[in-house]
Order: sequence, then C-alpha cells, then structure tokens
Amino acid sequence: MDFTYTEEQKMMKDAAHGFLKKVCPNVEWYLEMDKDEKGYTDELWQGMAELGWMGIAFPEKYGGIGGDFLDLVVLLEEMGYKAVPGPFFSTVILGGYTILEAGSEDQKQELLPKIATGELIMTMALTEPGTTRFDPFLVETEAKENGDEYILNGTKLFVSDANVSDYMIVAARTAGNKLSRDGITLFITDSKSAGIKMSLLKTVAGDKQCEVVFNDVKIPKANVIGMVNEGASAIEKTLQKAAVGKSAEMLGGCHRVMEISVAYAKLRVQFGKPIGMFQAVQHHCANMKMATEQSNFITYKAAWMIANDLEEAPKFAAIAKAWVSDAYKKVASIGHQILGGTGYIIEHEMPIYSRRAKAGEYAFGNPNYQRDLIATQIGL
Amino acid sequence: MAWDFGLSKGEEAYRQQVAKFLDRELTEEIARQTWEDLGLWKEGREFARKLWESGLLGWSWPEEYGGKGMPPIYDFILLDELGKRWGAHVPNDVGYTMTGHTILRRGSEEMKKEFLPRIIRGEIEFGLGYTEPEAGSDLSRLKMYAQEDGDYFVINGQKTFNTECHYSEYHWLCCLTDKTVSPYKGMSLFIVDMDAPGITIRPMITMSGEQTNEVFYDDVRVHKSRIVGEKNKGFYHMMEALGSERNYVFVPSRYRPYLEMLIDYAKNTMYDDKPLAENPMVRDKIAQIAVEIETAQLLADHARWMEWAQMTMTCEPEITKVVVSELEQKMVDSAMQILDLYCQLEEGSKYAPCGGRIEWEFLHSFMTTIGAGTSEVGRNVIAQRGLGLPRG
Ligand SMILES: Cc1cc2nc3c(=O)[nH]c(=O)nc-3n(C[C@H](O)[C@H](O)[C@H](O)COP(=O)(O)OP(=O)(O)OC[C@H]3O[C@@H](n4cnc5c(N)ncnc54)[C@H](O)[C@@H]3O)c2cc1C
Ligand SMILES: Cc1cc2nc3c(=O)[nH]c(=O)nc-3n(C[C@H](O)[C@H](O)[C@H](O)COP(=O)(O)OP(=O)(O)OC[C@H]3O[C@@H](n4cnc5c(N)ncnc54)[C@H](O)[C@@H]3O)c2cc1C
Repeated sequence: MDFTYTEEQKMMKDAAHGFLKKVCPNVEWYLEMDKDEKGYTDELWQGMAELGWMGIAFPEKYGGIGGDFLDLVVLLEEMGYKAVPGPFFSTVILGGYTILEAGSEDQKQELLPKIATGELIMTMALTEPGTTRFDPFLVETEAKENGDEYILNGTKLFVSDANVSDYMIVAARTAGNKLSRDGITLFITDSKSAGIKMSLLKTVAGDKQCEVVFNDVKIPKANVIGMVNEGASAIEKTLQKAAVGKSAEMLGGCHRVMEISVAYAKLRVQFGKPIGMFQAVQHHCANMKMATEQSNFITYKAAWMIANDLEEAPKFAAIAKAWVSDAYKKVASIGHQILGGTGYIIEHEMPIYSRRAKAGEYAFGNPNYQRDLIATQIGL
Repeated sequence: MAWDFGLSKGEEAYRQQVAKFLDRELTEEIARQTWEDLGLWKEGREFARKLWESGLLGWSWPEEYGGKGMPPIYDFILLDELGKRWGAHVPNDVGYTMTGHTILRRGSEEMKKEFLPRIIRGEIEFGLGYTEPEAGSDLSRLKMYAQEDGDYFVINGQKTFNTECHYSEYHWLCCLTDKTVSPYKGMSLFIVDMDAPGITIRPMITMSGEQTNEVFYDDVRVHKSRIVGEKNKGFYHMMEALGSERNYVFVPSRYRPYLEMLIDYAKNTMYDDKPLAENPMVRDKIAQIAVEIETAQLLADHARWMEWAQMTMTCEPEITKVVVSELEQKMVDSAMQILDLYCQLEEGSKYAPCGGRIEWEFLHSFMTTIGAGTSEVGRNVIAQRGLGLPRG
C-alpha cells in the first residue's frame, strides 16, 4: 500500500497549480466566463495543450505522453481546485477515452493526435429530454441505415461543450426499444453537419451544457465506433471514467473550500476572538476535513483500479461518485456557513464552488443512481 | 513511490493463511466472546493458543520478544480478517493492540521481557484503568493517588468503566504520583496484578449486556519497577497509548459481516412476492452502507500506512475513530429501517431476523461515539491539531 504521488505526478501537480493560478486570475474572470458563450480563453486552452495535458493519458503512438488514468486524475483534481472552466473534460474523457477504448485503429490514428495537441474539441451526446431520471441507456434518438450512411434524428440534452466542439460522439438507437441496453450505436459526428441545431442551456454553474437537435443528419458508416448495436459497454466504460474524473474535480473543490473556510475562521474576529475558536465552527471544520479525507482516498482508489483494469473498478467508480458528490455538497454548504454573509456575495470565490458542487453532483449519475449501481454490484 | 491500494505478494500470502485458519477455527462461540466483552474464557484462550501455534500471531512484533519483525501491516491484516468474520478483534486485544505497543516504546528492558512475549502469544490480558467518576473526557481530573513508600507505591482510590478487569491478569493503571504539580506532570502509568490484595471489582452491566467494572484500590502495594516509562510522565504515555490504539481498535472490516447479512436478508425476504432486494429504498440504504464501509476502510488504511511509514500523524487516527463510530450508528439505523417492525426482536425471540444481531447492535452502538474518546473531543482534536484552529 502506498498513499503517495509519483515524482512526475508531484511535478505535474505543482506545475498545474502555478499555471492555473495565472490563467484563472480572479472571480471577475470566472463571472465573465459564465456569461461568455464559449466559456474559456485561448490562453487557457493553448496553455494546457502546450503542457501536454490533453494527451497525458494517451499512448505515445497516438501523440500522447503515455501516462495513465491516475495521472489524468491528478490534473483533474488541480482543475477542480481552481474550478477551471472549458471543454477539457469533455474532450479528453468523453471524447478521447471513448475512441481510445472502443474506436478503430483508423479513428484513433486520426483523432487522438489532434486531441493531444489541442486542435480538436470533442464531447459526447448521450442524455435526452426523456431522461427525467438519469439513465444512460434511455436513447430515443434514432439512426436509420441508408446506403453508406446513417440518418440521425432526435434531441440530446445536457451535452457539455457541444457549442465549441468539432466532433460529438452521439449515442443513437439502431435497434431495440427506448430503454434497452442493446441496440445503441455510437457515431462520430461532425458538429458542423447540416441538420444540427444547438442552443445553450442556462445552468446553475454557468457551464456550457447544450441542447442539440438532429434533423436528418447524415453520418458516414465509417464513423461508427465499434460494432453497430453494441455501444452500451463503451458508454459504460466512459461513464466510469467520467464518474471518477468528476470525483477528482470535486475533490479539488473540497480542498479549496476547506482552505478558504479554515483560513477565514482563523482571521475573522467576532465576540472578541477568531470565530475558529468557537467549538461550533471547529466542528464544522472537522466535518469538512473528514469528508474531504474520505473523498481523497476513495477517488484515488477508484482511479487506481481503473488504471490497473481491476475487476472491482466499476463498483469503486460508483462508490467514489456517490461519496464525493455528497461530500462536496456538504463541504460547500459548511463553507458558506463559516463565511457568513461575505460568502454569499457574487464577487466572492465561494459561490463558484457551491454552484459547481451542484453541477458535479448531477453529472454522470447522481448519488442515488450510483448507489443503485452499487446495489447491483454487491449482489442485490 | 506511487499510489497503490493493494497488498504485496507476501502480505497476500499471509492474508490467505489467516483466512484459511479462521474459516476453520473461528466459531461463533469464540467470536461472541470477543465482541460481547463478557470475558475471554476457555474457548477463547484456546483459540488464542492455536492462533499462536499456527504461527499467525505476532508477525509485526520484534523478533527478540517472539515476533517476526515484520511491518505493522501484518497485524492489520490479521485484524481485518478477524473483523470480516465477526471476530471483532484479536483475543486478549487490550494487551495485543493497546498496552503492548506502549510497553515496547516506553517500558524498561526488564518489563519488556516480562510482558511482551506473553502478549505476543496472546496469553495475557490487561484492563485499561483511565476513567474515574470525575475524570472522563478530561483525564487531568484524575484523583487516584499512589504514595511512594520505599521501593513500593501504595495506591488508593477508584476507577470506573474499566472493562476486561474481571478476567484480565493485569490492570493498566494511570494515577497521580505527585499532587504538588499540574496533573499533566504528576501522573504515572503502572502495571498492577489484578489479583493484588486490596483490589475490589464491582461489575457494571451495560445496556447491551457487556460487562465493564468499577475498580477500587485500598492500600494496594505495587513495586516501583511496575511503572511504565518515566515516573510523572504518565499523562503523555497514556495519550500516546490512546493515540496508537485508534489504528488498531477502529477496524472498519468489522462491519462487513453486517453488510453481508443485510444483503442476504434482502435477497431472501419477500414482500408482495418480490424480494426486498428489488425495493429502491432497501437498495439505496444497503449501498450507502457499502459506500461508508469502503471510505472508512481507506481512512484506516491511510492512517495505518502513515504509522508504518513512520510519518507524523496529527489527527488521522482520530478521523478514523470518529468516522467509524458514527458509521456504526448510521448503519444500524439503516438496517433497522430495512427490517422494519422485525428490527425490535432480540436474539432468541420467535421471528427474530438476522439472529437478533441488529437489535443488539442498536443497543451497543450508543457506546461507540463515547468510549475511547467522544466524537466531540475527537472533532476538537481534528480542528485544532489537524487544521491548526486556535484552542477555545
Ligand atoms: C442577503 C443578506 C442580507 C442581509 N441584510 C441585512 C440588512 O438588511 N441589514 C443588516 O444590518 N444586516 C444584513 N445582513 C447581515 C447579516 O445579519 C449577517 O450576515 C449575519 O448577522 C452574520 O454576520 P456575518 O455575515 O458577519 O458572519 P459572522 O458573524 O462573521 O459569522 C461567521 C461564522 O461564524 C459563526 N460565529 C460567529 N460568532 C459565533 C459564536 N459566538 N459562536 C459560534 N459561531 C459563531 C457564525 O455562525 C458563522 O458561521 C444581511 C446578510 C445577507 C447575507
Ligand atoms: C462500554 C464502555 C466501556 C469503557 N471501557 C473503558 C475502559 O476499559 N477503561 C477506561 O479507562 N475507560 C473506559 N470507558 C470510559 C470512556 O473512556 C469514557 O466514557 C469516555 O472517555 C467519556 O467520558 P464520560 O463518559 O465521563 O463522559 P464526559 O467526559 O463527561 O462527557 C459527556 C459529554 O460531554 C462532552 N464533552 C466533554 N468534554 C468536552 C469538550 N471539551 N468539548 C466538547 N464536548 C465535551 C462529551 O463529548 C460527551 O458528549 C468505557 C466507556 C464505556 C461506555
């Protein structure tokens, strides 16, 4: 057993910390990014690309750095700490990893090197208006075979960063009924294709989630990922990584909220002493610390399991997402409590985190959904 | 150095050996003797002897006292495997997991030779003698006093909530040895023969049926060689002992049998011709228990790892203690909601589900956030030592 980062991971973590501090300078900047249609700056995206982040977990033969999922998680934790906006997560995890795991050699050769250099932005279009409870296999968007092509019709919702994407991986039904696991096919879809209409949804965290409508969109057969009708297992694998990746971001957020709140508790004086001297506040802080420690280790354990392709990885991915979602929500609400009125003001850093905690909780399956997966995994 | 949550080959081989032994030898009778704190009697002691003779005890202890000189993880593996099988802890665990480490760190060579080999073989037990009627969380309020008299101390006073004392060989006693200074600087730790003349034990039965005791000292004479570590440093030695026991006493694997029991119950209990395992509330509650066991296990793994990597711990074992004890209470509450009306039935009652274990655990769970340091004091420690907040 070992609870330490590798030397490379430590260096990367430090570098990320310094870089992100520079490119995400202050609260005003975040508020601008919230309002901005694109939601990030070229300085941020190019800088990440130059540091090699987009290719960190991909093999060298596809233009990557040859690291593993744990390395990526180290970066995501730092990104969560700084609440970094932009399409990194969508591109690398939802797009890149799906292609790496399930794509053909040609697809990998063509797309992964471009992802690694930051040339390509990708995402996955999965959820639909019918998904009133999270369920990745509720797919009504339809793909009909037509000669060398498929014709796509339907609506996708909550598609992260579709507005800035070059390609979307679209899950569409090619067989079966709307809830069946079989009969889902994944298509690499050019986001500029004729017949696609997008609009930004207004969300609690100001992140860029879109409605994407497909109206007779033509997709060449060569763009199918893996086997027709058998997209479900690739979706599942990507969602496991997404769950743990999101947990890593949320973990970073927990660390930042705890840091701000504890520092404030030491400085803020009321009733003649620092509020951190009051036991009620101390116990709040202890609760944050406990929840964050648990988040830390469960995230890294799940990531370690994925990186080593262990049998229990799916269960631990769900455990991590269930725990860390609940923990971040709790840590954020304690943070607000300790910061009092100050933390409620829009120019304060705190709301950036509490809003993201909420988005994170619901991304890729909320804790209730994850617990249902866990129940199945443990034999119920 | 890199993140690694697995066991090494050697560790895994030891784990399998232990598992095989326990599956064969650990009967319900013996398990109950460890978890019910009524006393480790003939069967339990016999089990300890077999564990030693099979070469599975004492791996993490120095060779000169009978151990194998391996890192602490081997003892943790043993505890985890026992926990998974309702074993609760090693037989005679106060000696093996609480006082033994302090003797090793602080005791004289003579004392180590006298006690450690028997502790390592699981032969002797201690009762912890800290709490007094006026000194619970605040041990600086101890009153019991040992008066120096030549090579001896003469001890008078009263302890309370001293579990194990009705069957242990020794009393691990903390009392004042200097009344003229601050209590922190005037206490000493003693090892006292439990059958020394002048000691009276009065049982206190808890709401879950365990036995703990009041212990009265009336001119009990103890040789000065029985002081553990330095005279008047007892408070610090006691705190050190309390700190190190955290890693050994709060073992999350102990809740795994409950989880398995509930999974089993849900699969095999029907409502409207469908197993409870299909009910969303039941699934959610059981899954949450699994989530909390896994995250608590990692807290324990981490604090233990810090111990064997000899890193300075501030509040890590304290975090494990608070989390694990509260997990137990939440787990029981969830379990009772799943059992619904049947949760009230105790062992031996007609219709009692899960052998009445859940009902018993409910009664027992109140002590987890109190014994060995309350959750409130634990949170103070986490905030002050872990996060550097100022003392109130
Ligand atoms: C939206 C909004 C509108 C408001 N409108 C008005 C208004 O119209 N007029 C007006 O005058 N004020 C107004 N307020 C201010 C409000 O009354 C204060 O925010 C509130 O009294 C708390 O003070 P504080 O924010 O300075 O937090 P602090 O007092 O600094 O408290 C910070 C943290 O320390 C804790 N703490 C402080 N003292 C103790 C203690 N003794 N024991 C334990 N914990 C302690 C608090 O509970 C809190 O968790 C408003 C605030 C908000 C957020
Ligand atoms: C079943 C059982 C077995 C035990 N076995 C042993 C044993 O073998 N040997 C032994 O020596 N002791 C033993 N104990 C005693 C145990 O260690 C004490 O019960 C414990 O330390 C708490 O002390 P107390 O019960 O006097 O409660 P108190 O210290 O009086 O606490 C009462 C309440 O006040 C709170 N409180 C106290 N101080 C603070 C503070 N500073 N800040 C905030 N809140 C505070 C507590 O958290 C608690 O909620 C046992 C106890 C039980 C229940």
